[in-house]
Amino acid sequence: MLSVVALVMAGSGEQVNDSVRTFPIENYIFKADRNTTPSVDHSKFEVLQQTFENAHQVTEACLSCHTERDKEIMATSHWKWERDEFIEGKGIVPLGKKNILNNFCIGVAGSEATCTRCHIGYGWKDKSFDFSESTNIDCLVCHDNSGTYKKGKGMAGLPDPSVNLNVVAQSVGQPGTENCGVCHFWGGGGNNVKHGDLDVAMLDCSREVDVHMGRDTENMSCVDCHKTEKHQMAGKVYALSSENKDRVTCTECHTKKPHLDKILNDHNIRIACQTCHIPVYAKANATKMWWDWSTAGRLDEDGKPMHENDAYGNHNYLSIKGNFVYDDDVIPEYFWFNGLANHQLITDKIETVPVQMNSLYGSYLDKGASQSSTEQSKIWPVKVHRGKQPYDTINMTLIQPKLWDKEQGKGAYWVDFDWDEASRIGMEYIGQPYSGAFGFIETEMYWPLNHQVSPASESLKCVDCHTRNNSRLASLTDFYLPGRDRNIFLDGFGVIVIIGAIIGVIIHAMLRRYLRRKYFFQKESN
Amino acid sequence: MERIYIYKVFERFWHWSQALIIGFLGITGFEIHGSFSLFGFDFAVRWHTYAAWALVILIVFAIFWHFTTGEWRQYIPTTKMLKEQFMYYIGGIFNNAPHPTNKTVYNKFNPLQRITYLGLKILIIPVIVSTGFLYLYFQYPKFGIEFQTLEPIALIHTFGAYILLAFVIAHVYLTTVTGVKFLSSIKAMITGWEEMEEEEIKIVVEEEMEVALKIIRSKLDAGDDKSAILDHALEEVEEKLGVKRETYFRDAISQSSAGYFCISKDGYYKEVNDAWIKLYKYDSRDEILGKHYRLSRSEEDFKELEATVAKVLKGETINHGEVKRTCKDGSEGYHTLTLSPVYIGDEIDCFEGFIIDTTARYLAEREMMKKKLRLAEWQQKKDEEKENN
Repeated sequence: MLSVVALVMAGSGEQVNDSVRTFPIENYIFKADRNTTPSVDHSKFEVLQQTFENAHQVTEACLSCHTERDKEIMATSHWKWERDEFIEGKGIVPLGKKNILNNFCIGVAGSEATCTRCHIGYGWKDKSFDFSESTNIDCLVCHDNSGTYKKGKGMAGLPDPSVNLNVVAQSVGQPGTENCGVCHFWGGGGNNVKHGDLDVAMLDCSREVDVHMGRDTENMSCVDCHKTEKHQMAGKVYALSSENKDRVTCTECHTKKPHLDKILNDHNIRIACQTCHIPVYAKANATKMWWDWSTAGRLDEDGKPMHENDAYGNHNYLSIKGNFVYDDDVIPEYFWFNGLANHQLITDKIETVPVQMNSLYGSYLDKGASQSSTEQSKIWPVKVHRGKQPYDTINMTLIQPKLWDKEQGKGAYWVDFDWDEASRIGMEYIGQPYSGAFGFIETEMYWPLNHQVSPASESLKCVDCHTRNNSRLASLTDFYLPGRDRNIFLDGFGVIVIIGAIIGVIIHAMLRRYLRRKYFFQKESN
Repeated sequence: MERIYIYKVFERFWHWSQALIIGFLGITGFEIHGSFSLFGFDFAVRWHTYAAWALVILIVFAIFWHFTTGEWRQYIPTTKMLKEQFMYYIGGIFNNAPHPTNKTVYNKFNPLQRITYLGLKILIIPVIVSTGFLYLYFQYPKFGIEFQTLEPIALIHTFGAYILLAFVIAHVYLTTVTGVKFLSSIKAMITGWEEMEEEEIKIVVEEEMEVALKIIRSKLDAGDDKSAILDHALEEVEEKLGVKRETYFRDAISQSSAGYFCISKDGYYKEVNDAWIKLYKYDSRDEILGKHYRLSRSEEDFKELEATVAKVLKGETINHGEVKRTCKDGSEGYHTLTLSPVYIGDEIDCFEGFIIDTTARYLAEREMMKKKLRLAEWQQKKDEEKENN
């Protein structure tokens, strides 16, 4: 394959040749030019050779050298699972995994002990968790370079008992793709379930799947783009945020004029890079497109939860979760997006069906001037996850049910299969009213796509959008798109004029021929 | 059938490169519009832009050419014969009726063509070009300007394209109608030479003569070298039109504003043309034919003319400067004069020549002279007064 990336040059604004074409790169140091040898060998530190009785002691050991780092961690959303964000009409609200609802597992409240397996802390099993206790920080989940660390199931973020903490502690380093992926690939209860563009395949894939992270390319890791300063990682996901800030962009490295062609560069004024360069998502593994909670609770003959798979081996039914539809090589849906999003908060009344979990703001005419966004809206590729989930039919709000518990009889739906009880306990837990009447309502959630960028040769072609039929942008009707749009009256007029001219010419020519001949004959007969 | 050189090199280059570019713009444009798929959208967009620029450059050259050559006058609209031309296309053409208008170098277009081409030049093309530029360069913000939507621009641009396409259909068809033969108009646009009926050619030559004579007059007025000016001018006409028939020139002369005369060697008028009769204020040819040429001068001027004629009869050709003529009613006029002998075999049988009227200019000059003299007198008077004081 021609794709071996000759990434030997580095530095600001240099031309990179990926053997297909040349393009500029800035603000990036290629791996070949980096010194990756660690400056210290953690296995030599005595403090890490002690016998750890629990994970908290590891953290204490880390902090004994890396002082003040705990304060940095405690200021991050990875720790707090919320951040203050402004939503138009709702003001500044704390948004995060702690309180936001989605249309996957709905929300963490009441089920923390299992959900916080993805929290960078130890022991968040309920509201009593102490967010100010430094030794509750889990350094290892991100910094383990041994590949042996894992958190235990239903253990509120504590490591699995099988983990050798000394081995892990002595092999810490910069977070790798595996570290991030253990949560960000597996969110929603399975690989690639949520994002559709974050997949365990990215640990070892071809450039066709991910042109940045493929093993046969630069093989970048997450933090190469999600640059981190004082543990604050750049980037955010609109499932949990609403403001246009802290975003990671393609142009940071690829410059604002990445193409040799002006027409293509101009497209970026109103079209996100991702739109053309992520032509399909879920390329390596399927992602969840539909989740219907309303069918959950069907048990087998023995009264036990069960599961059914589709032809490709993906779940399409789980008693605890309902019906799913998975899909791979999915063509994104396209929306105008200015970097601002709304959120259906638990306190918000349901006003539209399907309920818009996190509608993205933007339109063709939104050019940034009237918005707090400084940029104009661009067309973005988006994974839309649709589903049905419980809501309070009287209060007209979404419901946060309690889903998980170790034991029966505590109201957890996944154990007791009682929606009413799970809703009552779940809502009580977060201090929200529950009328006692519930139903299931359709919801839609938006996931702007950013990852698994395809090679340039795979990117969208002009006629994927500029075409009259089956345009990728067929749903964006608020602007005139050459090749797609026309005015039916003007084209009708044009066709009439052209056909009229042709018919006129034909009639005129025939008359000339016929009448002239007649005239000549007359002349001759005279 | 004869041929006349109508279309200049640049004109033909301009016409055909424009046809080519507009054709290409049409094909790529309608591909961009989504009407069909031929070159591929990418190619169509890119080359539509390049072709647009090529057209703009060509238009700039064409505008320059039109103004420097005065050809822009061809497009001045006229209602004269407009109705007749229209009626011809929808009626007379079927009965083999003659064209109501003739194509000449100085009047290439019939009134319908004038209006149509002018419409294209000042309305359709500018609309397409300007919307094209807005389309290309202002759909994204530029100098703080941005259209809220591309739609009206795109629609007007497309509308122009439809009109232009309809024009091309009618235009190509009409080329088969207007020529002597089916393809003669197209051939003429390629080679520059238009085939014409003899009658038409006469009209063309006459018109060309008019212009040539006007040029001669201005050269004589300017006091240029007089020898052979007329011959030179006639040669030019010959060359320009590519016509070699003397008869056309004689016919042309008889129609022209230059007075023509032919006098037998013993001094009696054999032939004069209408312009001559007008200049000498006669009512008809019969009044002068057979009369002696002394009638054309006052007594003192006659001697000079007699001497000139004597030279001509010895074989010389004379280009004379301004002379004073005596008209039938005794009034005076001024003209320039050429005289050349006409041979039959080796013998001089008679002599002929042209007169070009300069009376108006002469009178104007005399007025000017009088004023100058009066001014000089007045000045002198003043100077004298000064001295006396």
